[in-house]
Amino acid sequence: MVENVKLGKNMRSVSIVGIGATPFMNLIKNETYHGLTNGELFGRAALDAMRDANVQPRDVQYFFHGSANPHVLNNCITPNVQVADWFGMRGKGSLSHSEGCCTGYIALEEAVFAVASGAYDIVLTGACDCGTGMPDGNTPDHMRVELSTEVLFPDLDSIFDRAYGRYLGGGPGMNHDDWINLYAHENHLTPEQVDDVLNHQSYHMRRAGALNPRAIRRQTFDEMAKEAGYDDVWEYMKSPYNPKMTQYLRTSSDSCVADGAATCIVVPTEIAHKFTDKPIEVLAIGASVLDAIVPHLEKKATAIAAKQVYDATGLTPDDIDLVMVNDFIGSSAFLAAEEIGYLPKGEGWKYVLEGRTAFDGDKPINPNGGRTSYGHAFGASGLADVFEAVTQMRGEAGSRQVKKLPKYTFLRGFGGAQNVRAIILKAGF
Amino acid sequence: MDQNTMTTEEFWNPEHIVEKFWNGLKEGKILARKCPECGAIEFPPHLACNSCGYIETEWTQMSGKAMLKSFVFTGVLNARLELEDRGLKYVCGEVEFEEGVSINAVILGINKKKGREIQDKLPLPVHPVFYDMGRYTTLFFELDEN
Repeated sequence: MVENVKLGKNMRSVSIVGIGATPFMNLIKNETYHGLTNGELFGRAALDAMRDANVQPRDVQYFFHGSANPHVLNNCITPNVQVADWFGMRGKGSLSHSEGCCTGYIALEEAVFAVASGAYDIVLTGACDCGTGMPDGNTPDHMRVELSTEVLFPDLDSIFDRAYGRYLGGGPGMNHDDWINLYAHENHLTPEQVDDVLNHQSYHMRRAGALNPRAIRRQTFDEMAKEAGYDDVWEYMKSPYNPKMTQYLRTSSDSCVADGAATCIVVPTEIAHKFTDKPIEVLAIGASVLDAIVPHLEKKATAIAAKQVYDATGLTPDDIDLVMVNDFIGSSAFLAAEEIGYLPKGEGWKYVLEGRTAFDGDKPINPNGGRTSYGHAFGASGLADVFEAVTQMRGEAGSRQVKKLPKYTFLRGFGGAQNVRAIILKAGF
Repeated sequence: MDQNTMTTEEFWNPEHIVEKFWNGLKEGKILARKCPECGAIEFPPHLACNSCGYIETEWTQMSGKAMLKSFVFTGVLNARLELEDRGLKYVCGEVEFEEGVSINAVILGINKKKGREIQDKLPLPVHPVFYDMGRYTTLFFELDEN
């Protein structure tokens, strides 16, 4: 493939001045939340971002709506039209987009383009997915039922190329374990060592999730081990309570499907201080997309997108203080962090085992708990990561605040078999 | 000839690339495209060259000779249900054709025991299996030693 994209400079710098996010939850099983709808979730997250940016709905000029799968999960194909009235933006311009589990990262990219171009000054971008359920037949949106395997399983393949790859079959089967398998061979790790690394990573992600009121899984593995009668949590992590779902990934390294929404508001950096004392500048966004038929696609696309964003910003991996990775495939977290240079080549697995990638370590990754603990509301996950990055950079993450206040955060978006984005944020204060 | 006086089908009648590829598999042929500028193989076949970015490609046929470079087993989360339903033993892996192009593919006939035996011997030669899926024939692979 041709790798010749050099990012240009935006017409004007863009900053995030407001953030909003619902908890990631299970609308089907949680009695408190059962009955909430897509419009309400997106609308509440949107209004929270507006409050955070000290603006009213009347001030926002345009919005983007992201959703990984609005047709199956929500029985609609133009969710932007259907949610606009929920937060006072009737009649304003908007756009729906859908890029699988990378949707929330591309949501930020789209909004940045809209402001950087000069077309708009105040843009809201959000994403919402209700991943645990589906419409209960042809009924109003508050009536939802659990997503059935008869609907879910055939639909999962819809992210793979229907001309070839889906029916040649290898790509879909390689999706979860290709990269960790390659990494294990390149670094001479035994299956047992890989298991230990992934279990340690999940363990520390859950420690962060336990401290995050927006996370869907908040019970620590220590507590779960104790309940199951294990004195040793690492023995529990390798027990039938935590079974292998793929060759390498146990349940603890698999994403927890959730419902939720997240949003942010972006404006030109030159006026950002009118909205907040702590604007977060979006320095650049690198992009690469590879279909699942391409071997080692996640590693390749991550490297391409990272190079673009480092070249554009002049920053090096040594400048990065915090990394967010869309890790619905659990192993992606430290693998992507290593690929972008945040962890030394071939050494990332040791950093995980030593707890250094935990929220309270010196190389924090996903202090919100990641997809395995924070949860995975598909399209909304990326903007939930933006929400966490901004919260950490403002120093507002409470008991899960990373040790060093991040000046620069690197976000690696991934999804839809597969879109990749590499985003660098800078604390603009 | 003036385009404005032609029928639509006379004016625009492109070759059916995807259909030709799958029909080729039915006949035991692996069709690909070749870049006239850089010579790279475009597989599976598309319109332009993804290796150098040239604007067109032309038909060629693959030899079928290939090497298995890496593979993974699937589990409950990523099993290929169409293969499980047929009771097939398989892995998914990187297959590199002798023409230089690599894809993620399905390799039949490898169970856990066999997988352990060959893991450290990769890359290993594989050959194509034209597998009848009912309404279409697809391309899988098999270890040569089988």
